[in-house]
This record gives sequence, structure tokens and C-alpha cells, in this order.
Amino acid sequence: MTTTTPPPAPAPTAAGAAGGVASVPLLSVRDLVVRFRTQDGTIYAVNGIDFDLAEGETLGIVGESGCGKSVTNLAIMRLLPKPAGRIERGRILLDGQDLVVLSESEIRAIRGRDVAMIFQDPMTSLNPVLTIEEQMVETIRAHRTTSKEEARARAIELLEMVGIPKPETRLKAFPHQFSGGMRQRVMIAMALALDPRLLIADEPTTALDVTIQAQILEILARLATESGTALILITHDLGVVAGMTKRINVMYAGFVVESATTPELFALPSHPYTIGLLHSIPRLDSDGDEDLIPIEGRPPDQRVEPVGCPFAPRCAWRIDDCWSDNPGLAAIDGRAAVVMTGPAATHRIACFNPPTHDEALAGRPLREGFRPAPPPGTLPEDTGFEGLGSEEALEALEPQGAEHSPLLPRDEALLDAGRDRGQYPGDADRDSHR
Amino acid sequence: MSGMMDVRSTTATGPTSAPPPKAAPAQVGQSLLRVDDLRVWFPITEGLIFERHIGDVRAVDGIDFEIRRGETLGLVGESGCGKSTTGRAIVRLYKPTTGSITFDGVDLAPLEGAALRRMRARMQMIFQDPYASLNPRMNVAGIVGEPLDIHSVGTKAERNERVRDLLATVGLNPDFAVRYPHEFSGGQRQRIGVARALALNPDLIVADEPISALDVSIQAQIINLLQRLQGEFGLTYLFIAHDLSVVRHISDRIAVMYLGRIVEVAPSRELNREPVHPYTVALLSAIPIPDPVVESRRRRIILKGDVPSPAAPPPGCRFHTRCWLRDRLGDPERCSTEEPVLRTMATGHDVACHFAEEVAGSAEQVQAVGRGAPTAPPAGSVSPSLGPDGTPRRDLGALPATPPVPPSAPPSVPSPGV
Repeated sequence: MTTTTPPPAPAPTAAGAAGGVASVPLLSVRDLVVRFRTQDGTIYAVNGIDFDLAEGETLGIVGESGCGKSVTNLAIMRLLPKPAGRIERGRILLDGQDLVVLSESEIRAIRGRDVAMIFQDPMTSLNPVLTIEEQMVETIRAHRTTSKEEARARAIELLEMVGIPKPETRLKAFPHQFSGGMRQRVMIAMALALDPRLLIADEPTTALDVTIQAQILEILARLATESGTALILITHDLGVVAGMTKRINVMYAGFVVESATTPELFALPSHPYTIGLLHSIPRLDSDGDEDLIPIEGRPPDQRVEPVGCPFAPRCAWRIDDCWSDNPGLAAIDGRAAVVMTGPAATHRIACFNPPTHDEALAGRPLREGFRPAPPPGTLPEDTGFEGLGSEEALEALEPQGAEHSPLLPRDEALLDAGRDRGQYPGDADRDSHR
Repeated sequence: MSGMMDVRSTTATGPTSAPPPKAAPAQVGQSLLRVDDLRVWFPITEGLIFERHIGDVRAVDGIDFEIRRGETLGLVGESGCGKSTTGRAIVRLYKPTTGSITFDGVDLAPLEGAALRRMRARMQMIFQDPYASLNPRMNVAGIVGEPLDIHSVGTKAERNERVRDLLATVGLNPDFAVRYPHEFSGGQRQRIGVARALALNPDLIVADEPISALDVSIQAQIINLLQRLQGEFGLTYLFIAHDLSVVRHISDRIAVMYLGRIVEVAPSRELNREPVHPYTVALLSAIPIPDPVVESRRRRIILKGDVPSPAAPPPGCRFHTRCWLRDRLGDPERCSTEEPVLRTMATGHDVACHFAEEVAGSAEQVQAVGRGAPTAPPAGSVSPSLGPDGTPRRDLGALPATPPVPPSAPPSVPSPGV
């Protein structure tokens, strides 16, 4: 439970003291910027994010494909694809040690031992031509000086822990002889082999059926609690993090747009994107035939350097400032001291025009006469706000907006938006994969 | 601003070049499709030359159901349960091994050639993968217009006009007709797939996981589009998906499949409130609900092991190897010897379980979707107003309009449009 005034300067404050020891957090990410240089140009994958993780804490990172959630964690593991991916700026402190500047051999000693990772598709992260035994023993012996027999005994113990029946015989099996759920159990066993202090699970259940997902989540939750391992759970499924994590960061376009404890994020969702996500999925426990409110437009093109709030082009609450300035994460009640970890962590959002609680419930702005601000460069100087809001004015103006808006570089998005204006909030979208 | 029904785009999309035989407008509620004892088995063979037949994958193994005109039947189940095979057998992409598929009075199962092609015009399919289901070498006009070409509907000019209408109907710019699939995003491609399915004014659309490949924020766009089109064109849907919350949202009735059999059929709301098959209860309980308050009072039923192989389904009830109810009842012999048949529990609510009465009103049923009384929160869980150590949350009080959420309160962000 550490407190800091907004990054960086970690400094214990009252809340930290109240939580017990004011210690250095296990993981501290500061101003992390990751970019990919490709033939198509630069991909702005992560654009300056800050977060902390305390010892034994569980953090969910939620966002859609391309929001930078996986890249953030590849950066922590220093596994960004080379040479395209680069950490351009920022620090990743694990126990106060900056992982960004470590040499390849130094980081290799940390991977697996201190930080372990579980990937979405276990088949691609297991070696298909080696038995489970060979892979597990190799992992254990790479970091610990133990005999083969000891390593094997440890492997059996681990497989038992994750609920694989007859572990002695299954050790001799190859990955393809396991079902998807069983493979993911093997991955968890391997990740826990060296008692890591931080476990990163990147969409660990996305490829699995729901009943198998329930099995895997149960194992993950139990083992993380038992071993006191800190857990970062990356997912696109708000339902998964609701039951699994204590704190959540919502990411969009390489930014953290909302950060709160889990109960508070769901009780008081405050960023338009978080609200949009909650309203675009039908809930199992709702009785009525609720209308789903899709999020307008499509995720931004990450080949364009973000200007202004990244969510502005899709936001129903946007105001003029949103097009030009990035609001940055700040406490929703405007306090200066920000608690970064623990159950008293400050609820922070990056928004100039936060929706009210009623609007969050409704999923759309309720203010009289409020219209989302049109893109800059489309406003004739003398036009009154009323005129701007009319459908006709928008119709006439929007196409030029596309050219001027850095966030909608392609005309399809705009043409689509024009087509879809009959619906609320609209349409158009982007590539995606589960 | 509010509704998702966009009536504007109905413009002239009527059957200008009225495609194939269309039954006289029948009453809503009449049976459109009846499936009786449908089996689709895929042979397993051994050896290269003689290909000895050594077994069958019983993907679909004797199912019956009915879809009424204008309704949406949801078909849910986990991968390998046979739901997609069922959908494909209905549009006759697979030939049924046995059984009949009666579509508007005509049995499709034995049809071949021209007769089948004529019937197919009245049922269309939307596929899961918007990347694989569009030919990358054809432009959108070619893709959407292909059904019209195949069935020789209208003149070329009329077809082009129809394609433009269709694109407008699904919310795409008609000028995109000359573009190629790679120029579109996933959600837009799915719209193209929907436009293609609409081209011949079908009666029935089989949508096989139409949104699972899309990002969360895009899924709602396609769901809303499908619902709007159903209203506009009086479509009947067979909606196949693994996600029960989506299926519940869009369907009037839901059929749950497990290992090639239908285990429960009920109106959506009833299935969701009062599931009576142990598998349905487990399936519902496994779906995470985006609300920590609800999550904390649910009890998840963790099923043992994996789904057995459809090549060698367990004897008796196919679910008995993983069934929590059977465990609780002390392994009754009946479960492993006698295959339960679908029987009626309540009007329109059928179930295939010998002991379904035990499920009704059980704690498992009540807690599956978190409606029950709060159970003791799991150790270490954070209640909304208290820290894990039980101390009141300091920061919460400082927030404006913070509703303290009692555990029994309705979900904090309930259905939109409240």
C-alpha cells in the first residue's frame, strides 16, 4: 500500500501509513511509452502510462484489441518483438530495480523466477516436440540448481496443484495430447514453477469454453491467493475481472483512461469508454429487453500520433477541449494525493467532461441540448452552438472534419458515420479478434 | 438518439426485383422450420486406400425442434456440441445422416440439385469469421450480388441497384460497392455478410456465431443491426452462439445443446430464471457477470473435466460424467444406463434429465445468475463499501452521488435505457 503524489516521486502519506507499512510497491510503471517501427510507419502502442502493483495484489487490465494492454505486459517482461518494438521512454521498477535498462542476460534471470506469464494460446507457448516433463524440468533447472529427480518431483507437485489427474503419467505426454483447458493448466503450473512474485495472465481463458474458463479462473484465483503472488489479469471481458481482481485499469488506445478499485469501477463507472463498454454487452442477470448502446465509430488508427483525448471521436460527451488536449489521469474528486495501490486506491479518470452518475446509468448524455463537440476545423467562426448541433450542420461539416481530425484519417469512418446517423450513437468499427 | 430501429433505411429495399418463390405472407407464429430426429454423423476412416469405416463422430445425434415464423431461436452450447453442424445441416451445407428438416412444408433432407437450390434461396447463413467468409478477390458488389446472379434475379442494372439498397440497409455507404474486403474492418465485413444474406429476401437466416470474432464495442452494433432487420423484414433467425448472455438478449426461445443432443428448450427469460437441466445451470453459473456485487454472491458450479468425445459419447445421459446433480443424488444408476428424452416441465419448457425436478428451486439454480440471497463473501473479497480489513472506505464518502450499494441492491449499472 504505497502512496504517491501523481507520478513519479513515491512518497508515503497518511493513507499509506494507515495501510500498514509504507513500502516500495512490487511493480511500478512510470510514463511508459512503447512504439513499433514498421514499414507502415510508427505504431503508437503505449503512450505514457503509470501504475503500481503492491505485493500480492490482483490488477485487471481491460480493453479491446489494440488498446496496448498486451504490449504493456510484453514490455514488463521485455519480450517486445525485436527490432520493431521499443520502449521509448519510462521506467518499469520491479522492487525498485529498473527492468528497462537491464541487459538481456539480467532480464532472463528475472523472467520466470520473479515474473512469469501465461498466454492466451497455450499451444503456441508450449514446445510441441518436447514432453511436458522435459519442458518443466528445463524451466526449473534453468533457474535453480536441483537434480533432475527433484525437478521432476516438483513438476508432479505442480501438476497436482492445477488439478491434472495422474500427473506422473501425464508428464510423459506431449502438448498436443492435452485438451485446451488442460494445456492452460500446464501453462499455469509452469508459470508457478519458480514461485514468481508477479504473474501476468494475458487473456488466459479467451480461447476456452465458459465451463472450462470457470475451472481455470478458479485455479488461478486459488493459487494466486495461496502463494501470495501478485497477479495482472489482462482481458477484454469485464465480467472476468469483476470476480477476479481487486483493482482495474481500463485502457484505450495506449492510455489508461480509468483506474479504480473493482467495486468502485462498477458502482461508479466514470469514463465514457468504461460506460460504453458496460452498455454494449447484454447482461446475463438483466430481465428486461434492454437496448444495447454500441460505442460510436471504431478504435483509433494507432499509426497516427494521438492528439487530444484518444476517445474523443467516439465519445458522446466530448467537448471542444477533447479534440486538442489529452486530459490525463486525475482523481475524480480532484484531490492532490493519489493512492496508487490497495483497497483505498484513488479512482482516477482521464476525462474533461465526466458523465454524471445518472448518465452512467443511462449510457448517454442527459443534459438538455448537449451535443458532442464536432471536430475542430469544421466550425465557421460565427456559428452559434445551437446551429452546430443540428443534423444538417453536422451533415455538412463532418466530411471535412475527417481530414482535419488526426484520429479519423480514413474517409470510410466518416462516410460510415454519416450513413449511420439515424441510430444512436452510430456505427462503424474496426478489425478485431477475440 | 434512443432507439436502434433505423427505419430510414427501409427505403425501396422492398422486393423491387422480387427474388425466388416466396410463400404468401403467412401468419407470424406458424411453424417455419421443423427438425425431427436429425442426425449428422461424420465417418472416421482408417487406411489410405480402402478407408475402412471404423466409427462416426456423432456431431448431431437425434435432435428435434421447431422455429416459428418471425421468431428467434437461440442455439447455445460449448465447442463441439453440434450447434454449428445443426445450423449447416439446416441450410443443407451438410447432408443429414437421418431425420427430416421440414421448411415451410417441404422436407429438405432428400432434396438435391435445382430443387434444393430453389429452397436455399429462402434460407441464408451469416458466418462467424468475417475474414474467411468473404472472397478477397471479389469486390463488395460481387459478393453481395452473387446470390442474385446465381438465381438470375432481374437485369444487371436492377441487381446493382439492389446491392446499393442492401448496403444502405446494413449501414454501409453504397459507394463502397466497388471496394474489396481487405479495405473494411471486422464489423464492416460482418455487415457485408449480413447484406449478402439479405440479398434474396430469405425467410430464415442462420447466424452462426455472428459476433464472436468482433470487439466488444462493435458486437452491440451488429446485434442491434440484426434486431432492426428482423423487425423490418420479418426475418426468422436461428442464432447460434456460445455466449448465453448474448443469446438471451436476442432470442425468444433458447435451445441448449450438449454433445449432439438438445438438453433443454425454454423461452429465453424462463431459461435464464429457472433452468432445470443441471448442464444449463452450470453453463449459466460459469458466465461472469460484470458486477462485483453480483459476482460475490454467486456460487459457480465448476464442472469436472472436459466434454467427452462425440465419437464415443457416454452411455445413458451424455452429461452424467460431469454432472453435479448426479453427484449430489449419490450416483443414481438410471443416469448412466437410460438416456433421458426431452419431456415437458412447463408449457414450452422441455428438458432431458431424469431428475430435473431436483434442480427446480435448488440453491444451485437460484445462485447461478446471482439472484439468491447473499452467500458469505469469499475470504478476502472486497465489499463495495468496506476495505478488505473491514474499515470504511475513506475515499468513497468524498465522492458525489455515491450510492452505497447494499449486497441486495439491483446491479449498479443495470440495463441501459432504464
